[in-house]
Amino acid sequence: MSLLELKNVSKIYGELKALDNVSIHVDQGEWVAIMGPSGSGKSTMMNIIGCMDKPSLGEVLLDGVDISKESSKHLTDIRRDKIGLIFQQFHMVNYLTAVENVMVSQYYHSMPDEEEALEALGRVGLRERARHLPSQLSGGEQQRVCVARALINHPELILADEPTGNLDEANENIVLDLFAQLHKEGTTLIVVTHDPEVAEAAQRTIVLEHGRVAREIINENFGK
Amino acid sequence: MTKRRMFLRMITASLLRRRSRMIIALLSIGIGATILAGLVTIYVDVPRQMGAQFRSYGANMLLLPQDGATLNSENLAEALTVIPQDELVGAAPYRYVRFDMTLRQQSFTAAGTEFEQITKTSPYFSIKGRYPEKTREVLVGKEIADTIGVKVGSGMELTYQPSSLQSDLTPEESRMANAILSGSAEGWSAGVVYVSAQLDENAAITSVTVDAGTQTPEYGGRVPEDADFMAQFVGKTLPLTLGEDVDALSGATVTSAAVVEALNTARRTAAPAQPRTVNYTVTGILTTGGEEEGYVFISLDDMQMMTGEDKLDVAELSVSANAEQLEGYMAAIGAASDAVQARLVKRVTRSEAAVLTKLQALVFLVTAVVLLLTMICVSTTMMAVVSERRREIGLRKALGASDGSIRAEFLGEGLFLGLLGGVMGGILGFVFAQVVSVNVFGSSITFQPLLLPAAVIVSMAVAAVSCLAPIRRAVSIDPALVLKGE
Repeated sequence: MSLLELKNVSKIYGELKALDNVSIHVDQGEWVAIMGPSGSGKSTMMNIIGCMDKPSLGEVLLDGVDISKESSKHLTDIRRDKIGLIFQQFHMVNYLTAVENVMVSQYYHSMPDEEEALEALGRVGLRERARHLPSQLSGGEQQRVCVARALINHPELILADEPTGNLDEANENIVLDLFAQLHKEGTTLIVVTHDPEVAEAAQRTIVLEHGRVAREIINENFGK
Repeated sequence: MTKRRMFLRMITASLLRRRSRMIIALLSIGIGATILAGLVTIYVDVPRQMGAQFRSYGANMLLLPQDGATLNSENLAEALTVIPQDELVGAAPYRYVRFDMTLRQQSFTAAGTEFEQITKTSPYFSIKGRYPEKTREVLVGKEIADTIGVKVGSGMELTYQPSSLQSDLTPEESRMANAILSGSAEGWSAGVVYVSAQLDENAAITSVTVDAGTQTPEYGGRVPEDADFMAQFVGKTLPLTLGEDVDALSGATVTSAAVVEALNTARRTAAPAQPRTVNYTVTGILTTGGEEEGYVFISLDDMQMMTGEDKLDVAELSVSANAEQLEGYMAAIGAASDAVQARLVKRVTRSEAAVLTKLQALVFLVTAVVLLLTMICVSTTMMAVVSERRREIGLRKALGASDGSIRAEFLGEGLFLGLLGGVMGGILGFVFAQVVSVNVFGSSITFQPLLLPAAVIVSMAVAAVSCLAPIRRAVSIDPALVLKGE
């Protein structure tokens, strides 16, 4: 059963077609990588899937609901309820501690719960660092806090934009291991990346070129 | 943890952990609030401050006798009860009389007054020497002192010539007005009884003295000591008839008749009251630059002794109140007394009101400008804060913050800053006003308890208004744009 489906989606900026008649689908519980060189439309697709932008043409079905024509207020609600976001630059509130950053996500979603937030940090191995400010954490630690923040509200879809782009190999592996765990628990993962190693960790890779789907690669070795 | 607690935690963290940024915003609000609170305190206090200043320029209210009535120390004191004690700076009574100076054959106006009150109602009086402190001392206006050549310490003989020219009296009565009569008649067994009487300006008897030393002590000799008998004469006009106007003292009929006869005899030979001459010591020379330099001043007691009357021409009042209150007191005095009427010294009260209005307008204007500057300053600071936190705002939106949440968070920070700035401004503002007051007006001000909550509310309102534009910008931030890329 597909959680996300893009049907003939185009995003046009004047002359430029950032996305040109793209159709993809992602099943519930699937782990998909989206690859492509810069300018291929990765970011545009990521923004549309993440409910931060709307397509010029076509339909976007998330959990069976067409979100392509929703108001931005509704998109905010949908994003909050269904999607966990992870960014390349981590993006933490720099004057809040690790646990407070996780709680911010709870705050906008429903109710802040410090215990639960600490548990989530424990899951990414940072329970002892919960009271540290972002400036006191390494890049890898910050990204792990962001993973904890993305999963705290149990979203149906975790959308990660170059999650390992700013990490060394050790931290990259930690983050990918966390994704693998989430995948095992049934969370749907979409990871935008230009790193073939990261893409190889996913079940399936969709390659974008010039705003179109160039090819799809099924990872034969997944889970082995 | 509730949402509200998380909200407060985020806001306080934002302010406390980003201290250097927030201190600037706090300072702009705090300094604005300080100046505002200070100016408002001064604005409120200026009338009182300036009132005290104006009081040093002289009296602002006069008390005068109503038509046909006499102003005296008694009804003056009564009229003064209308004015609250703490507002009455001073009340100087004046009685003006022409005095002669015996040796030089000059005459001039003498004023009987209370010197202690003059120092309050006319603080601009400049004295060489000192004010008179006891009876038979005189303060001489500079003009007179120059004319007759007296100095501090000189003696000065002053003569009061009772005026006998009262228009509503018959020639005979006017001859007797204010006269002192003395006469004699034969009493018991050819003993002579001496009588003297003081008449007032209407030729009515004010007092009688009897010398009955030649009469039998247990009969006629009792006459001078019998208070009831002696009291009968007061207020009567001569001539008198025994048995009609006055009753004889029982057991002393002959002596009583002699007293009446002596008075009637004295009336026929009445001479106008004798001039009274008293030797005064000059204690001070008065310089005012005004007409007061042409007067001599003696104490009211001396004046009453010289003229034999408790009568005042005017009382000058210095009242620390605004024009409206003064009008109120004026009406109240007129209503409370048949004898006394009040008038305002318009040239003082009007100019006082005009200066106050202008001063308050000035303070008001400065307050408005400071308010505007504070808003601009806070708004600019908050605008910079929003620019600096674009990523954070974008992140919050990406995490699902609605526009309302973003508004609430920034408004919350603004109000929190307003609260801190208001408390700071309320306290420092009072200190500021105190310093200004002490340096400019030379007196301290009282703390207005309402100032603190008012300062807090105003600075919170200012902060909220100043945050409107920055908040609009924060809400318009597109998360997709600020979160993307490097």
